[in-house]
Amino acid sequence: MKCIIPGTNIKVFGRGIHSLSKIGEELYLEPLEHGLALRTVNSSRSAYACFLFAPSFFIHYDDGAGDASSDDSEDTLRCKIAMKSILTVFRSLSTMEKTVERCKIKLNMKESRLVFQLYCRHGIVKTHNLAFIECETLQAVFSKDMSPNSLTASSKLLCDAVMNFQNNQEEITLIVNPEKIVIKNYVDDEPDPNKVMHTNLSLEPDEFDNCQVGVDTEAILGFAEVTTLPLTINFETAGRPIVFTIDSDSTFEGNFVLATLADQQGQSQAQTQPRQATQKRSNIDSARSNEVNADYTDFMNDDTDFDIMIQNDTTVVYPRQTSVDTDKHTHTLRVKEAGALETHTDRSEGSVARQTNTDRSEGSVARQTNTDRDKGVVARQMHTDRVEGGGAISSASRGGIRRVGGKGDNQSKSGRFNSPIVNNSVPSDDEESPVLPMLGTKVKIGDTTLTEDMVVDNADEDEDVVPGTPPAKRFRSLFFGSSQASQSQSRNPDLCTSRVLAPDSDDEN
Amino acid sequence: MPMSLSTQEPADDDQFLMIAKIDNARSVSNILKAIHFKETATVFASSMGLKVTVEDAKCIQANAFIQEGIFQEYAIKEDQLTFKINLTVLLECLTIFGSGPVGGACTSLKMCYQGYGCPLILILEEDGVLTDCSIKTLEPDEVLDFNFCSTNVVNKIIMKSECLKEAFNELDMTSDVLEFLMSPDAPHLRLSTFGNAGSTTSDFPKDSDMVESFQCSQTQTNRYKVSLLKPSVKALALSSRVSIRTDNRGFLSLQYMIKNEDGQVCFVEYYCAPDEDLDDPDH
Repeated sequence: MKCIIPGTNIKVFGRGIHSLSKIGEELYLEPLEHGLALRTVNSSRSAYACFLFAPSFFIHYDDGAGDASSDDSEDTLRCKIAMKSILTVFRSLSTMEKTVERCKIKLNMKESRLVFQLYCRHGIVKTHNLAFIECETLQAVFSKDMSPNSLTASSKLLCDAVMNFQNNQEEITLIVNPEKIVIKNYVDDEPDPNKVMHTNLSLEPDEFDNCQVGVDTEAILGFAEVTTLPLTINFETAGRPIVFTIDSDSTFEGNFVLATLADQQGQSQAQTQPRQATQKRSNIDSARSNEVNADYTDFMNDDTDFDIMIQNDTTVVYPRQTSVDTDKHTHTLRVKEAGALETHTDRSEGSVARQTNTDRSEGSVARQTNTDRDKGVVARQMHTDRVEGGGAISSASRGGIRRVGGKGDNQSKSGRFNSPIVNNSVPSDDEESPVLPMLGTKVKIGDTTLTEDMVVDNADEDEDVVPGTPPAKRFRSLFFGSSQASQSQSRNPDLCTSRVLAPDSDDEN
Repeated sequence: MPMSLSTQEPADDDQFLMIAKIDNARSVSNILKAIHFKETATVFASSMGLKVTVEDAKCIQANAFIQEGIFQEYAIKEDQLTFKINLTVLLECLTIFGSGPVGGACTSLKMCYQGYGCPLILILEEDGVLTDCSIKTLEPDEVLDFNFCSTNVVNKIIMKSECLKEAFNELDMTSDVLEFLMSPDAPHLRLSTFGNAGSTTSDFPKDSDMVESFQCSQTQTNRYKVSLLKPSVKALALSSRVSIRTDNRGFLSLQYMIKNEDGQVCFVEYYCAPDEDLDDPDH
């Protein structure tokens, strides 16, 4: 891999790295055909960020796909380096802006070094040889398009809003309804809420929904500020990941995915009112509400835990999924479900898979609503013809929680899913990472599906075992009855055109 | 602005072996800050001016030269006066009115030394406020003689300080050594560090407009302990030009040309012994 960043873009690149450094300790670098992806995830795996720099961002971009032999190229082009190492290169952005004329990045596979060469003024050349580790792709499961809510704001607006909160404020609540958007600080476990400072900030209206968001705004806004680009926030509901996106036409794109805290039951009831929102939902509410409410109660009793919504996958190796595999996969998952939640979370990103399994095991809700959503998702993926393998698609890749086929009914269905999908899904451009290119040239690091391969591979990886993922950090994903169902339903009309999904969706109901 | 120091009786000054007066104490304090990496310093006063030396680990020596021309008044009754003094205290006294350039206010300084065993007397005045300090002097120790003479110089580069400032400021402190490669061939000057994150090199070509003079006769690679060289960054920060010289033994001489607020030029030099390989048979 070899690419050259022009002096004008170095500041943006550096800022991207700085903002990633505020989230995670390691930077995952992956040169893709459609650009260089820089990703990171925080230690508790509740926040993920990805910057994708398109080839147009560089003077010269060569992802090295043509170089190595086919065996090597899949494995060797992904690496991770310690964030501290790369920060030494981009430490002082203001001086870099003034002195660096261009920056060349090379991957030196022989010596396992990532080489940054800064060509500065006066003929001075600074070379940084950073050691890296080969690794698997870091991938978050989320879908911006699937989320019913979207807020776009200039970074200045959000910065101003965030500034009103105390510096040590870890979490803020974002309440959205048609009349206004409210951001307030999240008071949790306070013995006396009246003694704690409450900050409440209302903004002009845009969208609707309620959620409690664990926000690490500094990293995101720091970057957005530099680029002066508008920031788009996509989110669904409490417990579902919230996605912040910064997009600069086609030169680069940054995605930040944060886990959200699920609401307590009481609050959720109260907050469901404003959610009447869209026309899309309203006509479906009544139809689904009974069913879903019942499930909701069941679900609540089961205390689902989601720690991680991010999954590494080996998706470069895509088209290996077969129906057989998937069944095996789901079977495996079932077995794993039996285990304690803690052990699940402690395992490598496959932990997502496992957690989602437990989720499934708990909630009939999950299954039901999932399937609805699943179909939606699958349909989408089918449309774009870039589905990586099969049955797992039935999992709601919405919001970063993958659910593989599910138990029982779902599984067999996912089996059915597999064959057709596998046949169709593997498009010519396989070497891309799991991308769901919903929109034109822009490539999102979006929906991918959990497959047996991924799970197995994940089990093999030890690099993502997160030491000490705090058990205390549990996120309950609640399915707020009507809103959830309605949201999922809202998609169905659009997506029922999928040939694969239609029969299944009916069965599920 | 009349100097209140002039109100002092000239007869009092006879007792002093050395008297130096300067209108702007910062001309002295800034230079001394550039070599302040140890508590104590040895002062050599001669007819040419003051030389203040700081040493560490018997491997590194920094010298600050304040020529007699810098002073408004400079008188010395002996060929050479030597004493050791606590540099930290000296600097605190010199900057007693504050260290930054404040508006137009200038602190004037008069230094007096009566001889062996006597304290160094400082009289500082700013805006009519007078402070006098008396700092005990100590028995001077032998200072190292690096025996660095120009005839043995193998490689010499004079360059503008600006570009080196960045390189030194970003020195990877997780690296034990800073390696200097000087060569008549490319890369002409290369500074390298080998830290936890990996290695970092800065290359300076000889035809760069930052390089004012380049005289390298042979390729030399020498390593110096980063911890020893790090203090030189202070001098580098103040300087406008720097000369880098290595001799046949690999000893490094860094000479910094510093312009003070009044446009006068002072010099600070650092000598550093190379880091020897333990298994090097020659040493």
